[in-house]
Amino acid sequence: MMLKSVFTTAVLGAALAVSGGSSAQQPAQNPLDVIPEKMPFDIPSGTPITLDRAQAAVAAAIAESKKRDWRMNVAVVGPSGRLIAFARMDGAQRASINIAEHKARTAALYRRETKVFENAVQQGNLHYILTLDDVIASRGGIPLVEGGKLIGGIGCSGGTGSQDEAVCKVGAATINK
Amino acid sequence: MKTKPCLTLEDCKKIGAACEAEARKNKWNVVIAILDEGGHLLWLERMDGATPANAEIAIGKGRTAAVTRRTTKTWEDRIAGGRLAMLGMPVLPVQGGVPIVVQNECVGAIGVSGVQSHEDEQIANAGIAALG
Repeated sequence: MMLKSVFTTAVLGAALAVSGGSSAQQPAQNPLDVIPEKMPFDIPSGTPITLDRAQAAVAAAIAESKKRDWRMNVAVVGPSGRLIAFARMDGAQRASINIAEHKARTAALYRRETKVFENAVQQGNLHYILTLDDVIASRGGIPLVEGGKLIGGIGCSGGTGSQDEAVCKVGAATINK
Repeated sequence: MKTKPCLTLEDCKKIGAACEAEARKNKWNVVIAILDEGGHLLWLERMDGATPANAEIAIGKGRTAAVTRRTTKTWEDRIAGGRLAMLGMPVLPVQGGVPIVVQNECVGAIGVSGVQSHEDEQIANAGIAALG
């Protein structure tokens, strides 16, 4: 009985708010209800990155990692998300083999840095992101974009997310201008 | 305690370069994967023109050779010889995966995919030869 009356009040209250337009009574709006005008991260696919350039990106990331005395796994994938070049530095942790590839794949398939997902979960409390297919919500994956077209993705793993990202950025900079 | 040799990234690059040279000589576009003795990926390259699927297959062949300490052709031959029960084993029984043995220890494996299976193995063997 008590429940029912509360329910009735709530429904009526909502109806009044809609008809009366008294915004003060409205519950907080769900930010996910907003419909943006444009597509986010709307990057068309280009010709997949060549092996030479993929290896150059891996080499750049490894050189940066060596400079800092870190041990990383570095993966470069094509727009399809499949591996083109990979290297594990001596002593790099094995769990990060798959993580590096995953970050590269997610960056390529979602056309955005994996940090976007990390921020969404960590700072935006958008936990639903973790239910999306093949997401990895950890920085260190960056799409490779040339002339406005997606040609692949690079992912690094082995240290903290911030270390991974520092190295990944150097690798990505060989393509992304 | 026993100590055993272990592949470095430099070793992988040397092996990979020899494999790639063998492939280029024959105008083959393949994926070359090098894994450690536990079947974990150390180094991989997909030559321009090889398919995305080749990347997965090369890793699968390499992993099989690494953890079983024998060529994937061994598995393929045994299954082709009638041991169909082996299809249920956690292996990719297709020629093109070769273990890397140093001082009588398996230190990893090479997996190649992209051309005919016996050609894949030919490329892998060129990598083994480069290690000396």
